[in-house]
Amino acid sequence: MPIKYLDKYPKNPARSLWVLKPMWVSLRLFFKTVRHRPVTILYPYEKEWIPDNYRGRPGLRFDKCVGCGVCSRMCPTGCIKMVEVADDDGKMVMRPQVFVGRCAFCGYCAEYCPVNAMTVTPEYELAELFKEDMFYGPRRLNFKDTTPGMEVHLEVTLQSDIDAGSPEKRHHPHEIDNPVVDEDACIGCKKCQKVCPVDAVEMVEKGLNAKGKPKLIPLFDPKKCICCKNCVIDCPKDAIHIEEVL
Amino acid sequence: MVSSMKDWMQYGDPMSNPYYPYDTYNVVYDLGYEVYQFLGGIVAWLIDLLLPGNPVSEWLMSDAVVNAFSIIILALVIFLVIFVGVLISLWEERKVLGRFMDRRGTMIGMKGFMQCVADGLKTFMKENTMPKKIDKMTYMWTVSLIIGTSVLVACMLPLSDRFFIVNFDSGLLIVMALYALAPFFILVSGWSQNNKYSLIGGMRAAESMISYEIPMLIIVCSVAVLSGTFNIGGIVAAQNESMWYIIPLFIGFIVFFTCSCAEAERSPFDLAEAEAELVEGWQTEYAGMKWGLIMLGDYLRGFASCAMISIMFLGGWNIAPFASDAVNGFLPEVVQLLKGWFIFFIMIWVRVALPRVRIDQILNLGWKVFMPLSVINLAIAVLLKIGGVF
Repeated sequence: MPIKYLDKYPKNPARSLWVLKPMWVSLRLFFKTVRHRPVTILYPYEKEWIPDNYRGRPGLRFDKCVGCGVCSRMCPTGCIKMVEVADDDGKMVMRPQVFVGRCAFCGYCAEYCPVNAMTVTPEYELAELFKEDMFYGPRRLNFKDTTPGMEVHLEVTLQSDIDAGSPEKRHHPHEIDNPVVDEDACIGCKKCQKVCPVDAVEMVEKGLNAKGKPKLIPLFDPKKCICCKNCVIDCPKDAIHIEEVL
Repeated sequence: MVSSMKDWMQYGDPMSNPYYPYDTYNVVYDLGYEVYQFLGGIVAWLIDLLLPGNPVSEWLMSDAVVNAFSIIILALVIFLVIFVGVLISLWEERKVLGRFMDRRGTMIGMKGFMQCVADGLKTFMKENTMPKKIDKMTYMWTVSLIIGTSVLVACMLPLSDRFFIVNFDSGLLIVMALYALAPFFILVSGWSQNNKYSLIGGMRAAESMISYEIPMLIIVCSVAVLSGTFNIGGIVAAQNESMWYIIPLFIGFIVFFTCSCAEAERSPFDLAEAEAELVEGWQTEYAGMKWGLIMLGDYLRGFASCAMISIMFLGGWNIAPFASDAVNGFLPEVVQLLKGWFIFFIMIWVRVALPRVRIDQILNLGWKVFMPLSVINLAIAVLLKIGGVF
């Protein structure tokens, strides 16, 4: 303000007092940084506090996973691949394997996992000597101290819920979306039953096909279905689609 | 008969030595005296053990030889104290600069102090490279003289009335004279390097130093007018009797502080080595150990300026005017060093806060602002003296 006043009088020697302002500003910062430590963090020795849902490398809870493959299809960098491993009983199952060298740490795999088996972890120091070591198999993906806070939920409020008077957030909209089969197009090949990871498909006899013989069509159990869309993808006649609930 | 070691060590009063060079007590000379009595006594005793009754042992412990070795030790100790003080001010600059910028500064060893030592060692281990087309003799001689005068300036300033190397009656004038020598060497060294940046930097350094020398000398004169002497001990004693001269000569303090910033080529007046325009100014072609010593010389000059400000305006090694002798006699050397580091802190503060000035601004400031202000300061001093205040 005084400087503004003095701008009218460019020859006034008191204008040179502007030097006091930067000196005051820098002295204030000096006292602040002497009292509280400077912002620099000595990284290898000190680490910044990170929240539970920090998006580090993906983690996998092996027993919770159903092997639906949503994560591998959702991954924007394509670093997740479904591989066959033996589970605790010795049965061969499909589980995701992550190449963290390509992983972008976006956390979409954890967000879209229908059973919340995929989590994010606070681990971010992943440098390895060899590229081969960057492959995190299903067992290695396991993070020991997984807490509920590391799950990432896709929270959505549905318009229909608001209209019904209960505007609560739903953690997985897929829970209420369901596959619907076009009965005319279905040829009853049972492929959807084979690919369903949670056995939500039951083939029932209904109607007759073009040759006049009784045909099988899938019946989906909405309580078991996790809306992984495997049946939609694998259907040879494109007879299944997901009916969105809005 | 075998003589005992103690026969060769006579811890006497150094002032009773007929060759004692000073009028007053000098604690560093006393230290050198004791150290030589111990070490020289052992040597003399060993020689006497081997060759009993030889004249060398007697000669080693004679008054003249003891005095000569005591003076050598005195010079070494004073240089070491100043050197460590300058290293600490270097460390202070790095740490305080870091805090001003919200970072940590140096971190290696002893809160970052060892970083200065490590940097010094690093520059000393570098290869002694030199450009091909330089004037080799002036190139080497001028840099030696710049560093030499800087060391001399810093060592000429006493730390207390018992910690000095020479007690001149014209002490401040001699310090200023040694200060004024550097611009010529800098100009010649800039010419000898056969490099446009060095030449421009050397000319800038010379012209800014010459133009800032005059206000500084006028302010030294006004301090001498008030205290009635050029002797550094006399100025400090005069301040102890009346008051610190920062109160009557506040204008002089500001002008002298700014001029000594320019004199020591410190930001915001570091035009001579403006990294943005001239690569490193007149130091461009100096590499390795030479550059390290030039930096040391720069800091020695800055340290000497701070010590001069402390002596001329802040009461030197006395804690407060009118305090009892017991209070003022409490570690006067440390008090003087602390005051110097405090002034150096203000220099760092100015460096952080203000941007570099242009060459026309620095000359305008020197001739059109600081010159009249220093004359006004001299007038104030003369009026106060005539009015009988001091």
